[in-house]
Amino acid sequence: MASNRLEKKDYIKTSLRAYFLQNGFNYGNYQGLGYANMLYPALRKMYRDDDDKLQEALKENIEFFNTNIHFVPFISSLHLVMLENDTPTKEVRNIKMALMGPLAGIGDSLAQFCLAPLFATIGASLAMDGLLMGPILFFLGMNIVLLLAKVLSGLWGYKLGTSIIATLSSKMEQISNVASMIGVTVISGLAVNFVKITTPIKYVAAMPDNQEKIVAIQDMIDAIAPRLLPVLFTGLIFYLIKVKKWTTYKLVMLTIVIGVVLSCLGIIA
Amino acid sequence: MTISMFQCVLIGLWTGLCLAGMLLGIYTNRCLIMATGVGLILGDLPTGLAMGAVGELAFMGFGVSQGGSVPPNPMGPGIVGTIIAITMKDAGIDVGSALALSFPFAVAFQFIITATYTFATTLTSVAYKALDKKDFRTFRMAANLTVIIFAVVGFIIGFAGAFSSDGLQKVISLIPGWLSTGLGMAGKMLPAIGFAMILNVMAKRELIPFVLLGYICIAYLNLPVMGVAVLGTAVALMVFFNAGKKGESVEEVEVEFEDGI
Repeated sequence: MASNRLEKKDYIKTSLRAYFLQNGFNYGNYQGLGYANMLYPALRKMYRDDDDKLQEALKENIEFFNTNIHFVPFISSLHLVMLENDTPTKEVRNIKMALMGPLAGIGDSLAQFCLAPLFATIGASLAMDGLLMGPILFFLGMNIVLLLAKVLSGLWGYKLGTSIIATLSSKMEQISNVASMIGVTVISGLAVNFVKITTPIKYVAAMPDNQEKIVAIQDMIDAIAPRLLPVLFTGLIFYLIKVKKWTTYKLVMLTIVIGVVLSCLGIIA
Repeated sequence: MTISMFQCVLIGLWTGLCLAGMLLGIYTNRCLIMATGVGLILGDLPTGLAMGAVGELAFMGFGVSQGGSVPPNPMGPGIVGTIIAITMKDAGIDVGSALALSFPFAVAFQFIITATYTFATTLTSVAYKALDKKDFRTFRMAANLTVIIFAVVGFIIGFAGAFSSDGLQKVISLIPGWLSTGLGMAGKMLPAIGFAMILNVMAKRELIPFVLLGYICIAYLNLPVMGVAVLGTAVALMVFFNAGKKGESVEEVEVEFEDGI
């Protein structure tokens, strides 16, 4: 079926075109347009003199598609390998659609829930100290890792063929488990560090020897558990999200109201 | 301070670039990156960095919200918030207040983006029609049009934000002192939402020790962030290798927390 063989560099090129996957993003077919466009140069090469075939292949791939942008090369490489081996279109389509969901899950847990929060919080804390290194580290860190993810997942798809998907995803799950552990440690630490709530309330306590002593509530709280107020507030928000399913907007409104009212009353500072 | 026309254009270009980066997946549509750029353009890097840090921590979790809800866009604090923080620094607006004040913009920008995605749905039929005629050039143009629209929308938002900063300053200067103090306080509390949202997505029963570990590292040990990350890695690897020895992977259990932390 294919009139021209693809070389390894075509696979790498297609993998790098993952950056363009969302260039045509819309609410109709999500990344569908982008996916067809991502494959375009490779398909053009395969069907060099056959505009009919190219037209057909592109049309088939405009349909709804949505996965993780950094791991999509695994799918596209597999896709091209199968096309080159004259796999029936229907089968190719099934594999493509079957992989889309799991890969989005793995990719999101790694990129969005682990890498991004980790680099963002480290970058933000450096920036807080006035270091330009913070944003630079965040940007380079994210992009180097994600570039590697694109190239490596693309090469994996090229090499492994179709049989190996199950073991790969279990390995990825282990990696993403370790990643979440690190992520949770850093994020809970930073929540305690960056959510700043203290109370200025003081009261005068009568001591047994008829002397008066000013007691700061904050000192008492610190003796029980340091930074207890930020922990309690973050816990409250967590509860509202997890159990009460509050939306972001409601949470932000609540936070602003609590912040303004309690600071006006002099309860928090 | 006033912003020159040249700076307005630069901020517009920067915003366009950063917003387009959201589709490219290069993580430029983040408060930390955008605020730093605005700080450089306006010649006040320290405020840009401070605003970027505060906004990043508050908005970090918003990118991860799942399902139908549309998250507020970091262009709010990253661009508008930073402009407010820098131009009104002497008027008593700190980065916390600027963060709270920029929130309505973050919401408005997200609606613009949703509208763009909806409008871009027509691109699909453009692409099909082009392919019917074997017009591959038009097909490729349609496949790249959303990102171009994003760059233009970003430019307009950045330029308009910088250009109208005088009017913005006048409106904000009407805010009474108690309110801006309160907003500053709220700004310091907003990061809790971002952290709670991420924890909500990641939280599993077996990760509770790591929540405690993070708390101990900061609250009792005052470790720097890198230190927390390294210690977290050490413990995570121990768990990983132990699980490997037993020949079983860590079980995933979704649990309902009564009070998570």
